[in-house]
Amino acid sequence: MLRLIKIDFKKYAYSRTFWVLLLIYFVLIVAVFFGMEKFINQVLNSAKTSAQIPVPDFSLYSFPYVWQNLAFLGGFFKIFIALIVVIFVTNEYSYKTIRQNVMNGMSREQFLASKVLFALLLSLSASIIMFVSGIVLGLGHTAELSISLVFPKMEFIAAYFLELATFSLLAMFTAFLLVRSGLAIGLLAIYYYIGENILTFMLPENISRFLPVESMGNLIDVPNSALMKMFGVNFSEVVSIPDVFICGFWSIFFIGMTYLLLRNRDF
Amino acid sequence: MKNPILEVKHLRKSYGKLIALNDFSLQVNKGDVFGILGPNGSGKTTTLGILLDIIKPDSGEYSWFSTAAFSNQRTRIGALLEQPLFYPYLSAVKNLEIVADIKRVSYDQIDAQLDKVGLLDRKHSKFKTYSLGMKQKLAIAASLIGDPEVLILDEPTNGLDPRSIAEIRDMIIEIANQGMTVLLASHLLDEVQKTCSHVAILNKGKLLHSGRVDEVLNSSAMLELRADDMTALKQQLEQFDFVDEVLAEGTMWMAKLKEEKDPATVSKLLAQQGIYLTHMAVRKKSLEKYFLELLSDNNA
Repeated sequence: MLRLIKIDFKKYAYSRTFWVLLLIYFVLIVAVFFGMEKFINQVLNSAKTSAQIPVPDFSLYSFPYVWQNLAFLGGFFKIFIALIVVIFVTNEYSYKTIRQNVMNGMSREQFLASKVLFALLLSLSASIIMFVSGIVLGLGHTAELSISLVFPKMEFIAAYFLELATFSLLAMFTAFLLVRSGLAIGLLAIYYYIGENILTFMLPENISRFLPVESMGNLIDVPNSALMKMFGVNFSEVVSIPDVFICGFWSIFFIGMTYLLLRNRDF
Repeated sequence: MKNPILEVKHLRKSYGKLIALNDFSLQVNKGDVFGILGPNGSGKTTTLGILLDIIKPDSGEYSWFSTAAFSNQRTRIGALLEQPLFYPYLSAVKNLEIVADIKRVSYDQIDAQLDKVGLLDRKHSKFKTYSLGMKQKLAIAASLIGDPEVLILDEPTNGLDPRSIAEIRDMIIEIANQGMTVLLASHLLDEVQKTCSHVAILNKGKLLHSGRVDEVLNSSAMLELRADDMTALKQQLEQFDFVDEVLAEGTMWMAKLKEEKDPATVSKLLAQQGIYLTHMAVRKKSLEKYFLELLSDNNA
């Protein structure tokens, strides 16, 4: 397995495209994580002046709530990770290097494994970025800091990882299926932003909740805030366990489908 | 003793209605330089692709090194199929490191292989900056990584200039002389004739003939003959049972032989009949002639 990671890493380590995309993602996500509280409070401040009732200040970053807040925010940017996966899977087809890899002695299973590992490692990296951001932000924004406040709700990092992993495996499957990057990215974006919404609209809820993007979204619910509680809305403050299983199922499903695709394909 | 490296039995592959390969069987022994010869689109690349597991056959089977489990054996095979395939943004060295990683061998020999194909001084240049000839040479270097026992080359001189063609052919001959088994697909008869010990001729997915190159050449050898009494010579030749046909060519008779015959024997037999030759030459049919004959037979 380490060998596969090493081989795959060499393919990306010297690719400018890879580092540029990763840097853009990093800058974007850190900016969002670190800037969001200020942004929300600015919106709230302008609302306060005209509000009849007192609106409480908004803290996004205090332990332990920071984990759910960041995990929820980060979920909106998973398309970026998927983009990187699609580009580097389809590259193997456009350079025909998948063919050479197999000829040189990599089995189809090993090739698939290397791409699954790539998708998982990317998701893991994004989760680490979120973890570090959470620690930094939490330490700076928690009024009465105690170590016992840091660890609760950290399972949201794992849920965030699962959300990213499921989506990047869907991206990997799409890339292997369609082979061309433009087509794969286009179809993935259409499905993510429009296609599944239409399906969700047409299907009854007890079925639509099992759709992949829907279940990824349901893993981490909208974070509760004092403001929302005021309006009597109450969202879940724990990771949705049924959706953990649904996402797990989809992840395995996408890997399995890709395997069936590769097993009999001519390169 | 025959030592089969590769056994192929009844391979078949179709793309929709097009049958790319039909009932193809072959045996390659250790040390053979085996040419697969056929016009473009005859199924050569399909055959090699199947043998390298990048194309799945509809039916039939093959085995390398007399074992069924193939994926572990593949690192014993070096291959270059159609065109050089590398990561364009990586340097030659990094590309070869990936090959070495896949084949589970050390990086030690990378420089030596690059030196062998004359690319050592450009080893840190990105693959995309290479010329076509350099790319092809790098692909040959890549196929030699890990000291494979078998080398598979598909049109290795395609698109190269004459000097590079000569260099690559010399390289193949040198490799073969070291005892490596080579499987070479080509549509160039000359190439196969110059480099191979065995040949399989393929057309429209069907195997027309396979055997030793010199057998193919000798199997239809011809004798050029001249004597003072040309009429007697012809009559006598026609009585020999090893002669197939006697044709006039210029001032000579051209005797097509059914089987190979030592010229000394022929001349002795004729002398016993009182016919003394003033000229005799063995004319080997070129592979090209044989090839075209086979193809026309096949099309008829």
